[in-house]
Amino acid sequence: MLKLRGGIAAIAFICLSGSGHAADPLAVGRQMLAEDNPGDLWVLRGEKLFYEKRGPKQASLEKCDLGLGPGKVEGAFAQLPRYFADTDKVQDLESRLLTCMIGLQGFKREDVIKTRFSDLDRDSDMEALVSFIGSRSNGLKMNVPLSHQKEKEMFKAGEYLFHRRNGPLDFSCATCHSEDGKRIRLQDLPNMSDPRQMQAVVATAWPAYRGTQSTVRTMQHRLYDCNWQMRLPDLGYVSDMSIALTSYLNYSGNGGVIQLPGVRR
Amino acid sequence: MKTIKIAVLCAPFVIALGCASFPDQPTTQKIAEQMVSEAYPGMPAELTRRSVQDKDQKICSKIGDAKLSEQEAAEVVRSARATIKYPASGKLAGDWKVGAKLAYDGGGSRIRGGKVEKLKENGANCSNCHVLDPREVNAGNVGPSLAGYGAQRGNSEAVVKYTYEKIYNPWVYFPCSNMPRMGHNGYLTPEQITAVVAYLVDPESPVNKK
Repeated sequence: MLKLRGGIAAIAFICLSGSGHAADPLAVGRQMLAEDNPGDLWVLRGEKLFYEKRGPKQASLEKCDLGLGPGKVEGAFAQLPRYFADTDKVQDLESRLLTCMIGLQGFKREDVIKTRFSDLDRDSDMEALVSFIGSRSNGLKMNVPLSHQKEKEMFKAGEYLFHRRNGPLDFSCATCHSEDGKRIRLQDLPNMSDPRQMQAVVATAWPAYRGTQSTVRTMQHRLYDCNWQMRLPDLGYVSDMSIALTSYLNYSGNGGVIQLPGVRR
Repeated sequence: MKTIKIAVLCAPFVIALGCASFPDQPTTQKIAEQMVSEAYPGMPAELTRRSVQDKDQKICSKIGDAKLSEQEAAEVVRSARATIKYPASGKLAGDWKVGAKLAYDGGGSRIRGGKVEKLKENGANCSNCHVLDPREVNAGNVGPSLAGYGAQRGNSEAVVKYTYEKIYNPWVYFPCSNMPRMGHNGYLTPEQITAVVAYLVDPESPVNKK
């Protein structure tokens, strides 16, 4: 009897702790998506794209160095952005892939940028490639380096930009992302001044399958979209500002255990 | 001891790279501001201008735990106070029903593909951050709940004036508050603000109904 009661208590405890947002009907949908992540399809397509001979030069991306050596994708996401000697720049995953697609495959920069985000007419190769490469760091911890002078400069610039208020609504990133438990309407806002929340965002959010957009969106898209809500102009794809913010965020999220692609509203 | 260790560790790199260190604040600012000026390629100048900071936005961009000094706060309040404008009619509380629509309108002035969205007017974006009508679930909490705002404060001339000024430029009362300077930035017109004021203070407004 005692055992049974204990069992019931245990089940009740599991139910309570398992549904932290019991009062939040949106959480049910989020949970369903997380258990059966449509982003897995992007991972498969990205893997195919990575090894396929493509572009004017009919080359695969197997010689693309994402920081750990040519073609090495395992663990690559965990250490980006980082400095690359061949471009003499700090690059995030998307800007590095862009470099490889131009240099190895012969794609034109403006063509890749035109299809960087998928729309109703076109699927983005970039979104698929990022999903694939992100997923190949699953289970590893974020471990972004901060040793090269340019990495340090990027990090500090990112910190500065995160707090820089501008635009017709006086917003900085920090306006919405510096306190616990905040929401814009019903949308939860992560508090980036809390290392644990930062780790979760960096390691499990982007790339993420977005239910409202029926596609995987990348970190570059997240920043672009935040800029849009802040009433700023279209943020340049892989602009230094976007890399600086990503450097600041990803380095601050070091230690977070990667599980990608994520699932978001 | 520590210094020696660093010196030894860095020694092999000094020749090739110099020892990497964090740039100081002025250098960081210079690097980052250069990034801002290049962040919006192909955008028309009248739109990129939005990313240029005014004096008070600069003061209000503190990093981490850095605090606003008393002097800075006074400076922000002073310029906010000096630039407040009132509607031509002089009437600071308008039609609450107009305000009700504005308060829940989160659109306006957003840019896609280098073009500003075409709308008749900007929404006031209030419900993005505040509870207003206590029956409306879809409201944010970045700012405090304003349910019962007028019921608690009344709608005296003083309350109406304060509310108008608070929306026109919150930095008059709360320097560097997260709340945008809707009137000061020209995001809302003085007339629109009077409608939102009415929505908050009018006894007939849903904000003040239990």
